[in-house]
Amino acid sequence: MKTLKILTGVVIIALIVVFATGSINFGEDRENFYAADPKQEREYSDAQNNEQAPPNMKETTETTDSTIDSDSGYSIGDKAANFRLQNIDGEYVSLSDYPDAKGFIVIFTTNHCPYSVAYEDRINDLNKKYASQGFPVIAINPNNPQAYPEDSFENMKVRAKEKGFTFPYLFDKGQKVYPQYGATKTPHVYLLEKEEGGHIVKYIGAIDDNYKNADKVKNHFVQDAVDALLAGEEIKTETTVAIGCSIKK
Amino acid sequence: MKKMFFLFFLLTLISCEKPLPIAQAQKIDREEFKKVLNQESEKVQVINFWATWCAPCVEELPAFEEMSKEYKDEIEMTLISLDDAELIEKKVNPFLKENEITATVLLLDDPYSSEWIPMVDPHWDGAIPVTLIKNNSKSRFYNRTFTESELEKEIQSFL
Repeated sequence: MKTLKILTGVVIIALIVVFATGSINFGEDRENFYAADPKQEREYSDAQNNEQAPPNMKETTETTDSTIDSDSGYSIGDKAANFRLQNIDGEYVSLSDYPDAKGFIVIFTTNHCPYSVAYEDRINDLNKKYASQGFPVIAINPNNPQAYPEDSFENMKVRAKEKGFTFPYLFDKGQKVYPQYGATKTPHVYLLEKEEGGHIVKYIGAIDDNYKNADKVKNHFVQDAVDALLAGEEIKTETTVAIGCSIKK
Repeated sequence: MKKMFFLFFLLTLISCEKPLPIAQAQKIDREEFKKVLNQESEKVQVINFWATWCAPCVEELPAFEEMSKEYKDEIEMTLISLDDAELIEKKVNPFLKENEITATVLLLDDPYSSEWIPMVDPHWDGAIPVTLIKNNSKSRFYNRTFTESELEKEIQSFL
């Protein structure tokens, strides 16, 4: 009985404290999240804005970008650096190993990233289709295996074997190549064309516009770009954006 | 004695309702996403793009959850998951439960990211995490990760 009294007392005090601090009225705002008619809300806030906001508070949009890589990487028309990286078979691969190539489909990709995994078959298909036409795929894993153990050199071998990769799958040891290119995520494609002065960047971005379902792709960005190069035509879409897994240092 | 018991039971029941409910991911399409982006509010809106498979996102999520609680009267926290919609029950909701996330969680079910990414910010190339903080007069896009104190500083600059 006595214990119960004390307990009840404690609960009452606790409740009073909670009420007093106001932490009980949770959830209200969240429930309103979709309830309000956005139009009405906008009018209301506009009106408020006009009344209260000082005249210099105009609509401003700023961007802060701490990933310097994306600024220092390649743009369309830039000359891409050659590299020499180890392939899963132990051999070293370089762009200069392909004297007959007209260019390269360089794809930064990894084992662990679900977006990369979703594209594995399509990357294989790209190589099957275009290697014979002079545009082989060269895949590079840019990740730090300490950050993602699944992306280790050993695991790259395993994955390539499982998926029957028909293209070199190189390891960017020391993570020196991907910052040069400006890759920020995986998969991230750089289409290069061999010209007299070197390898010129012709397309940067995604493989296509639907990672989830290859049958529902509306734009085959890489295919269209390579086809355009093969036909000697202009590439319509030279850069695209897509969700991907950030490359971890 | 009986009365006391009843009172104790009642009070315990009431106090059980206290903790914020764990979030459940709500699937949204492109149109609903646009509404989220264009919504005007008295509160500062913090919109974070993340996914369960994104290690740096998962790392910074507790900071967003903490801010959501600490500034619940001043900000509206929206965590937009880019996980596969088929994985809501299997992966996303269990993740929210495990990490005790109570902020609003939406899952954008739209694979055509090249179409909607530019709506968020023209500088965004699709790598996550990214965060958008805005009020009715300004908006700012952050292509970076946050610690709790860094995030708090940014939020305060909007209050």
